[in-house]
Amino acid sequence: MSSSSTLRGLIEKRGATRTVEGHITACAASHDNLRFAFTTAEGDVIVAHRADLADPASWATYAVHDGAALALAPDTDPSGFLTGGDDGRLCRLNMHGEIDELGKSRRWVDHVASHVDAKTAYIASASGKVVELRDGRGETLLKTLEHPSSVTGIVFDTKGKRLAASHYNGASVWFTQPKSESVRTLEWKGSHTGIAIHPAGEALITTMQDNDLHGWRLSDGHNIRMSGYPTKVRSMSFSRTGKWLATSGADVVVMWPFFGGGPMGKPPLELPGMGGALCTRVAHNPEQDILAAGFADGSVIMIEPETKRVLPVCLGAGGAISALAYSPDGCLLGFGTEDGLMGLVDLSAG
Amino acid sequence: MSDTPLSSEPANALVPVTVLTGFLGAGKTTLLNHILTAEHGRKYAVVINEFGELGVDNDLVVDADEEVFEMNNGCICCTVRGDLIRILGSLMKRRNKFDGIIIETTGLADPAPVAQTFFADEDVRAKTRLDAVVTVVDAYNIEQTLKESPEARQQIAFADVIILNKTDLVDEARLKSVEDTLRGINALAPIHKAQKGNVKLTDVMDVGGFDLQRILASTPDFLENTHHHHEEDLTSVSLTLKTPLDAGKFQMWIGALLQEKGADILRSKGILNFEGQPDRFAFQAVHMMADGNAIGPWKEGEERISRLVFIGRNLNRPQLRRGFESCAVA
Repeated sequence: MSSSSTLRGLIEKRGATRTVEGHITACAASHDNLRFAFTTAEGDVIVAHRADLADPASWATYAVHDGAALALAPDTDPSGFLTGGDDGRLCRLNMHGEIDELGKSRRWVDHVASHVDAKTAYIASASGKVVELRDGRGETLLKTLEHPSSVTGIVFDTKGKRLAASHYNGASVWFTQPKSESVRTLEWKGSHTGIAIHPAGEALITTMQDNDLHGWRLSDGHNIRMSGYPTKVRSMSFSRTGKWLATSGADVVVMWPFFGGGPMGKPPLELPGMGGALCTRVAHNPEQDILAAGFADGSVIMIEPETKRVLPVCLGAGGAISALAYSPDGCLLGFGTEDGLMGLVDLSAG
Repeated sequence: MSDTPLSSEPANALVPVTVLTGFLGAGKTTLLNHILTAEHGRKYAVVINEFGELGVDNDLVVDADEEVFEMNNGCICCTVRGDLIRILGSLMKRRNKFDGIIIETTGLADPAPVAQTFFADEDVRAKTRLDAVVTVVDAYNIEQTLKESPEARQQIAFADVIILNKTDLVDEARLKSVEDTLRGINALAPIHKAQKGNVKLTDVMDVGGFDLQRILASTPDFLENTHHHHEEDLTSVSLTLKTPLDAGKFQMWIGALLQEKGADILRSKGILNFEGQPDRFAFQAVHMMADGNAIGPWKEGEERISRLVFIGRNLNRPQLRRGFESCAVA
């Protein structure tokens, strides 16, 4: 079931792995930090409970989508998950393993995002050129947002006030509150393939087809260009304070500074890599100044940017890392590979 | 011209992709359904556009939007299909579910962005190979269509394989005239006659049209066919050279040529004899985007002749010939 005997690093003592059929397309923790889900290109969702972390045989498998599961987000309730698939369905998987269809589209549901805080909760999903915004329960469709071309990424800002979508020739920023119909269009020619927003709302960043990043300072729309990558950037993650943006796409982890005036005209910081393998995924710890990075050779490491100290999480997996995420409390780190290996590590003390 | 190998994976690990083009009403969807329902034991993923004429009978059908955008890579004519990059990327996560991919384009589509997608995107290149651009032509209407629509001419010029459909609707003489017209635009692509899309599958699928190996085997004289230069618009120019080529000189020349004339040159293909190389070198380009790789040794007793074809507009044959000849080893 598992090839963990050949895996080295934290995974040996503090984690577990399991291999399933199919490419792991995404992974995420639930809001209560108790569950961790992996989605596969076979349409399955595998959910590990924290209490059963060391017993991967007990991780439950749910056949949610007919076709690939393309997108995953934590549900707005504490314990469930939201998934999108190429069967055009937006689904909720609750803690009891029950599957609810929240939406159905003719197109693939490529992206799902959720926001929840004390006051508001939203669910957003992207399918073709359309983003649908639903209430936290997923029962009411609040807005149908049309874009000029297919949406390639969606993200809520930290407060859930705005929802941004990347597409050809730029990005669109929408307000979530029902009364506002207006859209702010940020233009930059080319194919934008993914999106991230600064935690304090200072900048919106997109990945581009042409091996670079583009960004806009949200205060004045000023353009920010970040280039020099040997390949496409697939993964971006802001540090919890927004000081750094970590990115994949090179054989090192590339970190852009978002302090002291921003990244304009500054060289990025390069954190250690895995001796030549391309970095494919990055994730900042939500609670500490630590970063996890996954590579094309299947390695996952944690790096402390301040000291550049490296801690191996899992070495020797083989297939490229295709999914990587921390739980909100920063105590669980999960990852998945293109050939179906799922790994989960408990980082909490004791 | 790329110095990097096409992919680290062996060629047969790459998923073959067939692009089906053809003018409105030519019979693309009929041909597609014929391919899908034939007894071949193969599974295909099919990418269609939402304005398809007929339904497609297949398990894995993906709607595409034909979203074309310009690359910022300095090629003025380098447009690619962003929707295909996304769709192919996602399909490749389910590599075990199908044996090949068929992409149907809309009747009015320029095939260049589709073909260029297979050169321009690193992920697409790493996992798929463009097997052939198959253009379906309606024998009954094509002469009229060519008068009215530059796109139809473009699609014929682009083809690796031409399916001349609806041949039952025209007589022998007219069929011959249509074939001559097609040859005048594209001297390279084999023409297969069909009625209601009833072609042999081996003629359209897995033909290796882009790597030239099988096309050369099936039409060994294609490059000698240099008669039809009366088409004022799109034409073919075929060149041969017995003297071995200097690889460095050839790369310099073709690189500069495509940079300068790439907008006019739709397709270039060649089998080249580089000095000191035991293997044949297959060269191909779509507009400015070029690629090449060794495709195995020359056959025993085979004459080592370098052959190069250009399909495009405003082609200056003497100039191209002189350029090609200047690449010969001194």
